[in-house]
Amino acid sequence: MKFWGVRLASILGAVAFCFLLEGVAQGQSSFVQRLFVLAGLYVTLAVSLNLINGITGQFSIGHAAFYQVGAYTAGFCASRFFAQLNLPPAAWLLLMMITSAITAGLAGLLVGLPSLRLKGDYLAIVTLGFGEIIRIFAQNQEALGGAYGLTVAPKIQYVWAAWLLAILCIAVCRNLLRTAHGLPFLAVREDEIASSAMGVNVTQTKVVAFVLGSMFAGAAGAILAHFESFVSPPMFTMDVSFTIVTMVVLGGTGSITGSVLAAILLFYLPEKMRDFTNIPLSGVAAAFVAISAAVFAIRWVMQNFHGTAKDRAIRYLGIVVGALVIWFISKALLGNVPSLKENIDGSKLRMVVFSVTLVVLMLLRPQGMLGHHEFSWDWVRSKFGKPTVKEATA
Amino acid sequence: MTVLPDLLAGLEFSTLPQQLVNGILLGAIYALIALGYTMVYGVLKLINFAHGEVFMLGAYTALFTSWSFGFTQAGNKQDSSPGILILMLIVSMTVCGIVGVLIERFAYRPMRSQPRIASLITAIGISLLLQYGGQLFLPSSPPPSISDKVNPFKGNIEIPLKPADSALLAQAEQLKAKVTRTKAAYDEQLKSEKDSFNLSPVGKELRTASQDAERDYRNAIDKANKDALVITFPQGQVIMLVTTVVLMIILTWLVMKTTAGRAMRAASLDFDAASLMGINVNTVIAFTFFIGSALAGAGAMMNASFLGGTKIDTFFGMLPGVKAFVAAVLGGIGNIPGAVLGGILMGLAETMVIWAGYGNYKDAIAFIVLIVVLLVKPGGLLGSNKVEKV
Repeated sequence: MKFWGVRLASILGAVAFCFLLEGVAQGQSSFVQRLFVLAGLYVTLAVSLNLINGITGQFSIGHAAFYQVGAYTAGFCASRFFAQLNLPPAAWLLLMMITSAITAGLAGLLVGLPSLRLKGDYLAIVTLGFGEIIRIFAQNQEALGGAYGLTVAPKIQYVWAAWLLAILCIAVCRNLLRTAHGLPFLAVREDEIASSAMGVNVTQTKVVAFVLGSMFAGAAGAILAHFESFVSPPMFTMDVSFTIVTMVVLGGTGSITGSVLAAILLFYLPEKMRDFTNIPLSGVAAAFVAISAAVFAIRWVMQNFHGTAKDRAIRYLGIVVGALVIWFISKALLGNVPSLKENIDGSKLRMVVFSVTLVVLMLLRPQGMLGHHEFSWDWVRSKFGKPTVKEATA
Repeated sequence: MTVLPDLLAGLEFSTLPQQLVNGILLGAIYALIALGYTMVYGVLKLINFAHGEVFMLGAYTALFTSWSFGFTQAGNKQDSSPGILILMLIVSMTVCGIVGVLIERFAYRPMRSQPRIASLITAIGISLLLQYGGQLFLPSSPPPSISDKVNPFKGNIEIPLKPADSALLAQAEQLKAKVTRTKAAYDEQLKSEKDSFNLSPVGKELRTASQDAERDYRNAIDKANKDALVITFPQGQVIMLVTTVVLMIILTWLVMKTTAGRAMRAASLDFDAASLMGINVNTVIAFTFFIGSALAGAGAMMNASFLGGTKIDTFFGMLPGVKAFVAAVLGGIGNIPGAVLGGILMGLAETMVIWAGYGNYKDAIAFIVLIVVLLVKPGGLLGSNKVEKV
């Protein structure tokens, strides 16, 4: 009984959260509403890619392809059938999300099948190639609007739809991992040969992961198409794929909580950076110098210092302070270089921040922010000094 | 099955030999880049995603070198010499080699003890960093290009496969006399005219006669040449091909005959055993990165300066990089002759797609080839299929 009570409360809480967000967004400008929706979509994309990359261990870097398939499906159907069916917007959006999920799932099946034979870096480059093929194909199809793109007729801008999808995606992934259906995914990630020896159908598991992950990306695409009321090939370049990969890697491959947090963080940070319009180039160059110095100093401490955790933390703090000093000095020095005297917009730094995040993360913490860990109430309780459920019942 | 005849009807077979030549010339560049991928993969089992960006930096180095000799867009320096080209080549190769070694030292070496996927993510990160970080510090909008005055070899080498119709050509030659005659008359008249834009009636008549004769002559020549088949090699591209071949011979000598090359082959055969035999694998890897990146630098310099007006921006290396990677996989990754074969085949595939009228898909063909190769023969054409053991 308690199980169902908790379940029902969670569902109600999730729905309430979505409509609360809708309420908050209503009073805001359309720019802020857009941020809310896109953040929800990126959470969906990151969590669904995490199912493929992190949980099943099939390194895919072409997630934008499925996003695009979904968006174009919705755009194409809207231009043909919306006027005839005469559905209310919410029902139409739901119908489109399901249709897009199905087409994107088929695309996922198409990529998942070759993935049976490939692994690691080969799989990565095939998924990347698949993304490019889809984009170039759409660019050259007159029926899909060619290079200009498609205008999607009904503009449906529900913040709650994006977040409900995100929560659904999180719930599906979480519940999958809690049941016997999800354990094969983890087993395939850890060791394919061993898991197949234990009776796991490796082929099926990989394909299911691909199809499931791409279905959520497709549904997210449908929401995007109706929100922007426009889809075009440049919206789904490699950058989008790399952004989603960065989110998954930063969050910790395999951690759903990590993907959610990283998606929100990495989505919000570049948007915030747009506010800074006059960043001196010498400051950026100095930041490169300071970050590299700090990274290698921290690596040195990680490998060569064997004292207590407190002493270690003090050294890290010292390195950070040192890096700030280096930044300050090198900024002053580089300020004299004539070609570095320009100012640039913060929006140009978007992908630079992502790439630096990727490299620094790999050098210092390859398992990502949370590693394989998940958020749990037990963890919160233990932070407040209370016994966890396990300890309490024992 | 009406599709195939329709498809064939759309093809212009007379341009095929020229397109094949273009494909080989393009393929030479891909082969140079593919060598870098294949050598690094052979030793480290790592796809060096940043290799395309090294290529991009090579093009920028060549650009800056040409600027330092005064060949800027605004500058009016005219005379170039082969010496400047050789210097640009050497500077590009050196800078790229050093960049490659630095990337290996600071990004890939710390990753060697990690799972392979960590190195892959680092490689993607470095590649994005060079693309987008480079955008901040390198001139990219509007994209600059190396002034074509740098290249002193401007002519074409023409190989006639099928001569023009001699009878028609003789007729055209007869018309030529008329052209010279009317032109001379018009020029003579022009000297006595006050205003060359506002001619007297006599001048106008002579001008029309001269233009008519000229047009008749052109038409006759075109008619005579209609069935002629000439393959044109721009001289610069021939030099490009020759340089590529020379570099490949040097590479073969380096890998097959020198101690460093033997160490490289040993490390690629068995990394751990090689280090147990007293080979300093770090040096070998640095050497591999230097050679591979230097070849990419050579390719970039030649691509940017011999194919006139090539626009250079920070994404310059992305597509050639991906295509060269596909070439390396096609030939069998880790296999040096395979990379050259794959490069040429990729170049041919691309020009064939353009020739068949699907120029919009020329960037997609690389990925289609890749997927087909990996599904049908994952080891590549010259590679060997390895069975994974537990």
